[in-house]
Amino acid sequence: MIVRMSKLEIAGPKELLLEVLEIIREEGIFHPEPKAGDFLGSERRRELHRLVPDEATTAERIFLENLRQVTCEVIAILPPLENGESRLQPLPLLEGFAAGAGEQLSFCRQQDERRALLLREREQLGEYAVLLETIGTLLWDGEPGSGLEFIAITLKDPSLAERLGEMLGRLTGGELCMSTARGRDGTLVGLIAAPPQHSARVRELLSDERLPEFPFPAELRNLPLPERLARIGARIDAVERELGGVTASMETFARQWLPLYRRVERWVVERLGLLSAAGVVQETGLCFVILGWGRSDAVPGLTRRLGERFGGTVAVEELRLMEQDLEMVPVTLVNPPYLRPFELFTRLLPLPRYTSWDPTPFIGFFFPLFFAMMLGDAGHGLVLATASLLILRRWREGALADGARIMLVSAGCAILFGLLFGEFFGEAGGEILGLEPLLPRRSRAVIPMLVFSLALGGFHVILGLLLGTITALRRRQPREAAGKAATIGLLLCLAALAAGLALPSPWLLARPILATAGALIPLLFLFGGLLAPLELLKHVGNVVSYARIMAIGLGSALLANAANQLAGLSGDLILGAVAAIVLHCVAIVLGAFAPAIHALRLHFVEFFSKFVEHGGREFRPLRK
Amino acid sequence: MEKVLICFAAALAIGLSAIATAWAQSRIGAAGAGTIAERPEMTGTVIILLAIPETMVILGFVVATMILYQ
Repeated sequence: MIVRMSKLEIAGPKELLLEVLEIIREEGIFHPEPKAGDFLGSERRRELHRLVPDEATTAERIFLENLRQVTCEVIAILPPLENGESRLQPLPLLEGFAAGAGEQLSFCRQQDERRALLLREREQLGEYAVLLETIGTLLWDGEPGSGLEFIAITLKDPSLAERLGEMLGRLTGGELCMSTARGRDGTLVGLIAAPPQHSARVRELLSDERLPEFPFPAELRNLPLPERLARIGARIDAVERELGGVTASMETFARQWLPLYRRVERWVVERLGLLSAAGVVQETGLCFVILGWGRSDAVPGLTRRLGERFGGTVAVEELRLMEQDLEMVPVTLVNPPYLRPFELFTRLLPLPRYTSWDPTPFIGFFFPLFFAMMLGDAGHGLVLATASLLILRRWREGALADGARIMLVSAGCAILFGLLFGEFFGEAGGEILGLEPLLPRRSRAVIPMLVFSLALGGFHVILGLLLGTITALRRRQPREAAGKAATIGLLLCLAALAAGLALPSPWLLARPILATAGALIPLLFLFGGLLAPLELLKHVGNVVSYARIMAIGLGSALLANAANQLAGLSGDLILGAVAAIVLHCVAIVLGAFAPAIHALRLHFVEFFSKFVEHGGREFRPLRK
Repeated sequence: MEKVLICFAAALAIGLSAIATAWAQSRIGAAGAGTIAERPEMTGTVIILLAIPETMVILGFVVATMILYQ
């Protein structure tokens, strides 16, 4: 249902503006209109101009923006402890807090930078340690004093090792060798042992291949391998200790200050929101004027609250809604709990206009019906209902929960139609349980089901056109309303003709129907224009499109029957049961998707196109 | 012979419309996949658009049924 809106003008002394805005935001029912020109007549427009913030307001805003930056940065730096929010009122201590916040931010930054440096060093030292351990496995006994120079590299691509070995061999005439080994972290390390006269050319080749030599810190470069490892181990221990100290210091700070920072940040954001909201306010010489739209049901509450607080110095006036305003009125949808999950489907479409209809109630009624007619199996419905309940047990809110609620209602209807069709996991299941079909069997009565689907389609399309006629009348477009009414009349004539021709003894004489149709056709041209007959053909096509209810229903019934027959053909109880379960699972998955998509399509394309006018403005109230 | 021709006509009615639907869905599906990659919030709309050409095969099915049951 589209919520009724009131056109409002709220006025009062300028010094009360922020307090009034605070109350409006708390109520959350007012959508401000920043363009006074479109909202009011030209005379009133000249009296008002956009409120320009004074010096104090601007200074406050700058102060709060700076404070917000500081608090945000401090909160981002500190460890995210679960110690909640302080209960202190920020306003009395704001100045003192702001004075100290700068120093605290510097402290936090220093600690954070130190921590980042230590983490980086620890990571680097870990890499060195792995590399040195790996190199240790590659060095042979005669390494000390062999006169060879050792160059260590890490190889990201293992296939590079062989190619590099060949290139080095060619470069030095086979006078050097390269060994590789994997480190404990999976890194592939290569160690090149080269005579001193070739080392420069080897380094040049490595540079050309973008394989830089592993950079050891200068203080470690000339030490023997065991001593390098010992030094690195000692440094890692020292870094760990220092890191622990820095982390503990930040946690102590966070325990003491984080709750207050969170409270202040929230307060500052709210206050800035309030100051921003003042940007949509108009002013006269002495007063502020806020123009906008309010939910009609909540306007008395807002008026009463403002009256109680300001004792009549702030006025709320409900302006007359003019015809030209209808395009500007913002739209919000409110539906009862049963229909609310179906807004999931409505949200797939743009918002309807204020003068149009909320599609949710229609989809909430017809979607489960169409779905059930297509699925139409009590067993499959039972499985889907169980699955929906399981989802709802795990997720109570959100799109998935809404989807599960829709599926639960639709599955309930499918169980009902399954009982009417006598199908429980196919017709065989219904026969075993002794279900007597109250409607014709879908797998055999193809033509009756087709006629029923088309009749339902005719009713749905005519209902859509009827609602479209009402919309046109509401918008004061009688010509369009008359065109739609003529179309409805012609569709009814066509339906009566089809019924009369199909029945063995026509209960309607063709001549009066043809005469009525003949009278309606000129009206159709007159009100609908030259393209009206094409529109009529489109509507007939829309009705025929409802044949999919029969087609998908037939497919669903045949699939379930085929699953039972294939299971019976196996000749083995266990194998047959497994085959039946698997095939019915396929049928249920198809049965959940195909009817849902086609039921939606019938609504979106065939039904809503007749009466829902899209392009409504979203209702965006000022709220905290 | 007449029965064969009737069955052949029904097969043509559903077969040709099924091919047409498949072709249309392949084009819409490819475009829809691209759309969803850039704007995942359009998933619902794309699924509906993908179902639109199925009207052809359903109408083909109805015609085939009427041929067979006439």
